[in-house]
Amino acid sequence: MKRTLSILLTILVAVAVSAATYTVDNLPVPYLQDKTQYVSNPDNILSSETVDSLNLWLGQMETDHGVQTLLAVVESIEGGDTYDFCMALGRKYGVGSKEKSTGLIILLSTEDRAYTILTGRGLEGTLPDAICKRIENHQMLPALREGNWDEAMLNAVRAITKYVDGDPSLVGDADFEDEDDTAALWVFLLMLACGVGLIVFAVWLDQRKKSYCPSCHQYKMKKISGYVTKNRILGIRSHHDTYRCTNCDFTKEIHWDEDLHSGGTGAAAGGALGGSFFGRGGGSSSFGGSFGGGSFGGGGASGRF
Amino acid sequence: MSKTIKSILFALVATLGLTSCTYNKLVEQEEIVAQKWADVETQYQRRADLIPNLVNTVKGYAAHESETLQAVIEARSKATQITIDPSNITPEQLAEFQAAQGEVSQALGRLLAVSENYPELKANEQFSELQAQLEGTENRIAESRRLFNEAVLQYNVSVRKFPNNIWAMIFGFEKKTPFAAEAGAEKAPEVQF
Repeated sequence: MKRTLSILLTILVAVAVSAATYTVDNLPVPYLQDKTQYVSNPDNILSSETVDSLNLWLGQMETDHGVQTLLAVVESIEGGDTYDFCMALGRKYGVGSKEKSTGLIILLSTEDRAYTILTGRGLEGTLPDAICKRIENHQMLPALREGNWDEAMLNAVRAITKYVDGDPSLVGDADFEDEDDTAALWVFLLMLACGVGLIVFAVWLDQRKKSYCPSCHQYKMKKISGYVTKNRILGIRSHHDTYRCTNCDFTKEIHWDEDLHSGGTGAAAGGALGGSFFGRGGGSSSFGGSFGGGSFGGGGASGRF
Repeated sequence: MSKTIKSILFALVATLGLTSCTYNKLVEQEEIVAQKWADVETQYQRRADLIPNLVNTVKGYAAHESETLQAVIEARSKATQITIDPSNITPEQLAEFQAAQGEVSQALGRLLAVSENYPELKANEQFSELQAQLEGTENRIAESRRLFNEAVLQYNVSVRKFPNNIWAMIFGFEKKTPFAAEAGAEKAPEVQF
């Protein structure tokens, strides 16, 4: 009895240890937390140096050519079919931009001994199925057969980069971002102009109100004298102005208070607004990335080793 | 009296407004179905375009498999002859189309199975790449069929919902037929290396 129990326990532990079977929903996607991390390597199958190199190359590929990649290396996946898994990933995350669909998903499952390079609809011209197959047969297969996972993935991405670099129709997001930033700048300037216009208009309205003569109903009142008193306890400055109408010589006193502590608010709001606008283009290293909603029609190639 | 006329007019305008809304939505969804159908046909055409190349490559290594090769060519020419009016896909037409394409799939499957017996052919780079293209095309066919079925489903739900069903009946929007799942015939030919 005890023996069966211990055997059962051993089996259970063994299963728990080797149970790195991922589903589409529980596969970690580090890119979402940090947009410099394209590689999902939850089982540490790839060395950290390899992951760094891959991230660097794939990052370059996205900025230069707008090709967004999700690369995953795992021990095993649910179902064991890397193509189906990649399609499900593509459907879930929408790798690649929505307009261009230049997304790329590369998956290697070492225990299933299967791999897939899946190309987004917009990449099918740059990386036709036959080319993907060629890359797999020549760059990946020899290394995979030796169990050299690092070499296989490095070779594959290096080869893919060559094809992507060679396609002049793939333009990077860098250009688009620039356009975005100038657009944002124009919007900001326009808003600024509107704000200034509003303030000028308010001041003008205020002046007009002050120049209104209640006697002859004309806007002919002019300030002739005035004095200011300060109340530091209340924090106000009181203006006592005398206005006389140039038309009918009617005089009136206008009394208004000014808060000593205000006055800075307008500038502060403007500063915050400007900051939020220009802050967007700035720090890009540690923010999470987002996938653009690209679609996959089933292009690419798969294989087993 | 005038109040009654007013309310009748209001009811009429409201109904017309609703109708045009329903009508436009149905037209839109019907267009999407037609577009998805065009995608499906494109992918099948893509497969048909690959076949001559594949047949020629295999012929160079396995000339005496002429029967299998001939079967592929015949199935292909039969399938490409079927044309379907995308705005009016009848269940019979779709079944015919599906049967013809299914035959192509089966013939191709046999061809690939036979090619396993020729190591030289298997080692041929061009053949391997053609095979990859074929596999990719089968995947694309499956995906485009899935999207077509999705669009049909959405359209059918719209057509059958109340009160849309009344307007659909008046304007002649009919339920459309999705692809039926086939018992293995439409599955990509499994190739072991």
